[in-house]
Amino acid sequence: MRFITIALVVTALVLGTDGPAVAQTFVFGAQGEPVQLDPAIITDGISSRITRQIYDGLVKYTGATTRVEPALAEKWEVSRDGKVWTFHLRKNVKFHDGAPLDAAAVVWNFERWWKSGHPQHENLVKAGQTFEYWEAQFGGFDEKSIVSRVEALGAHTVRITLKEPQAPFLANLAMFVFDIASPTAVEKWGTEFGKHPVGTGAFRFVEWKPNQEVILEANPDYWGPKPNVKRVVIRNIKDNAQRLAALKAGEIHGMEGLNPDDVTVVRSDLNLQLLLRPTNTTGYIAFNFRVKEFQDRRVRQAFAHAIGKKAIVDMLYGGTGLVATQFQPPSLWGYNREIKDFDHSPARAQELLRQAGLTRGLSEITWEDGKKEPLVFWYMSRSRPYFPNPKEIAEAMAADLARAGIKAELQTTEWAVYLDKRKNGQMPLYMLGWTGDNGDPDNFLCYFFCSPGASREGFYSNQPLGDLLLRAQTLTNQAERAKLYRQAEQMIHDDVARVFVANNEPPLGFSKKVKGYVPSPLGDERFNTVEVQ
Amino acid sequence: MTQYALRRALTVIPVLLGVSILVFGFIHMIPGDPALTMLGERATPEKVAEVRQRLGLDRPIYHQYLIYLGKIVRGDLGISIVRGDPVFTDLMRRFPATVELATSAIFLALLFGVPIGIVSAVWRNSWMDSASRLWALVGVSMPIFWLGVMLAWFFGVQLRWLPTGFRLDSATDFRSWSNFVVLDALLQRNWAVVWDALRHLVLPAVALATIPLAVIARMTRASMLEVLSRDYIRTAEAKGLPQAAVILRHALRNALLPVMTVVGLQVGRLLAGAILTETIFSWPGIGLWVYESIESRDYAIVQGASLFIAVIFVTVNLVTDLLYAVADPRIKYD
Repeated sequence: MRFITIALVVTALVLGTDGPAVAQTFVFGAQGEPVQLDPAIITDGISSRITRQIYDGLVKYTGATTRVEPALAEKWEVSRDGKVWTFHLRKNVKFHDGAPLDAAAVVWNFERWWKSGHPQHENLVKAGQTFEYWEAQFGGFDEKSIVSRVEALGAHTVRITLKEPQAPFLANLAMFVFDIASPTAVEKWGTEFGKHPVGTGAFRFVEWKPNQEVILEANPDYWGPKPNVKRVVIRNIKDNAQRLAALKAGEIHGMEGLNPDDVTVVRSDLNLQLLLRPTNTTGYIAFNFRVKEFQDRRVRQAFAHAIGKKAIVDMLYGGTGLVATQFQPPSLWGYNREIKDFDHSPARAQELLRQAGLTRGLSEITWEDGKKEPLVFWYMSRSRPYFPNPKEIAEAMAADLARAGIKAELQTTEWAVYLDKRKNGQMPLYMLGWTGDNGDPDNFLCYFFCSPGASREGFYSNQPLGDLLLRAQTLTNQAERAKLYRQAEQMIHDDVARVFVANNEPPLGFSKKVKGYVPSPLGDERFNTVEVQ
Repeated sequence: MTQYALRRALTVIPVLLGVSILVFGFIHMIPGDPALTMLGERATPEKVAEVRQRLGLDRPIYHQYLIYLGKIVRGDLGISIVRGDPVFTDLMRRFPATVELATSAIFLALLFGVPIGIVSAVWRNSWMDSASRLWALVGVSMPIFWLGVMLAWFFGVQLRWLPTGFRLDSATDFRSWSNFVVLDALLQRNWAVVWDALRHLVLPAVALATIPLAVIARMTRASMLEVLSRDYIRTAEAKGLPQAAVILRHALRNALLPVMTVVGLQVGRLLAGAILTETIFSWPGIGLWVYESIESRDYAIVQGASLFIAVIFVTVNLVTDLLYAVADPRIKYD
């Protein structure tokens, strides 16, 4: 025993008990490796968490909301027809490489995103990259784009002319993809710019150690609120449990991707605090409309009545979930507060099935071509923000369905295969969800319901709904648009196009030493407000 | 000997060709479209078609294979379809981390495995033998992910003696030019970094060493028991040699051959990347990299890395074979 004690003491002395010295450094644990640090070509949250510290856009989302406020543009005007936007840039702003941020630089960035013949567009495409979000938000490249002209009017004024008004224009511009990069740096590095990012943001890029971490340092010349820490390290820790271990060990100050079960661990730890990201994500059950039974609205209603959403949210979301009544999460301005959700009633569900002629419940389905097979309910194998533990949620839903006389066999497959099957419309009944990109209702609704009958959406076809959503896209008055989106949600609800299950407020874990971290619904938080005590 | 080595080296070519066909076939056979994985929930049929065309996935499979083969012959392992980086550069950046970890693990496994095996064999059926056999059994059957998590939890979170992952502390400012962090720090005589890097190496190396240690201990014991019953050992003992000399000079050297085979296989395995250990300890080696690439269906990386791993295996086996001659002068290659 004495030997063991001595050995432990000696080991302790030899190894030292000092934790990492992190004075003036904020260490954040991310779920994986960034893809690139060139905002124009990335689409993932892990990369954009970092680029948001290095770059600024013309406008940005305000704190924990999806409202838009000035950033590099101090103010702007829009013409009455909604087609001409004039932005007035902040003066005396410099990129990290010393080049001035002026109207010419902004125009250069737009041309790079927009014109397929721009040398810095062309070379990236040749290298296999795409300007995916530009295409998605602004209708395509060159002539296909909704943007018809971008010009500098003097040193600090930029005018953007659109072919037709675009309602979510400002919300789109605030997305991380449209952050302004230094033209000199892009030209210097070419296709390698994504590894040598230069913007105007609160932090400058220092180093990217592949598979390990990205290091940033405070930009002392930042035009906005100056950072409170000198250095930011974003560490890549793939495993959720290990990331929490690193947080508990004091090696990192904050983390994303907490397992629902670990929410209580963080809550009960005196050294840690839990922050919730305002919800921007909705998980749902989708029907395949090539299944004859699902073409009957009463059957779909039976599903909606059968599932006890509240119990699922209470039990399986670690206290961070909300019951969803519609596609948009409540944080969006198109949300319809008047929708009355289907009450949880297995008896009502059974009654509806009987009315639909399914007197013995539903356990076998019939495809349009006459093929019959047992009902399979698919769930994803990978945790998503809207379904943090899909397997448990699927099991709970299947149990609820069974109580209402619907016997579904649960099945899963790898994420890549899952997406494949969904695209080809091969799953009769499946779980999926959506996380918003820009806080605009259009981003939730149009992708799914503007092209009726698409296989990827289970062949659901509702022309009036599609028309209504396309009309909402062309209006610039937010109140008018909100009215249309509320109407759209009502239509989706009445037709039970989906069963919306839950919104989630993804939990983040932090050391109590951290102050000033404001989680954004769009994952858009800037670290210049963060303090480490 | 040289001729033998050359002949063996030549047989590597058909092996690698076979591996390339297998790997290429398997990864294209498993369901799941890389284009879809890249696009996720946002995939539309048009975008998927465009990405497939860009990646060359719309061509016939044999065509894709021939293009691939042509490239490897020229030493080009292709470009990652997710990140757009050359696979070879990425491989070279990550491999040192794996080598560092694997070498430390093998070092630990030999340091403890061989003596445990000897002790166990010499004092057969004693309490030391029972203890070491039990230890070997536990070591072989221990789930590494469990052990890794427990080590990190106990030494990292509870005692805070050692870091729970990574190669260096986030506060350590050190640029390693070769990515062999310990070696670089030693060459630069930066003792603080050497110390930091070694502290980070302890837990993953211990976790990774568990199985090889147990295997080596068992093999050493079995092999020693066999040798110890030979006539020449009795002769050596009879002529009055001290026991230590009999065991170490006469018995051990002869008992080492099968142990070397085992070590060779273990080295190959460890260099191929220890996926679980690297994931648990966020160790930026090739195991973690290949695992992530399989998930995202990054064909180029999976193919390139598999081929590389095959080369490593074949090379380590060749070296082991050649080392037999060093350990046992009776073996001659011609």
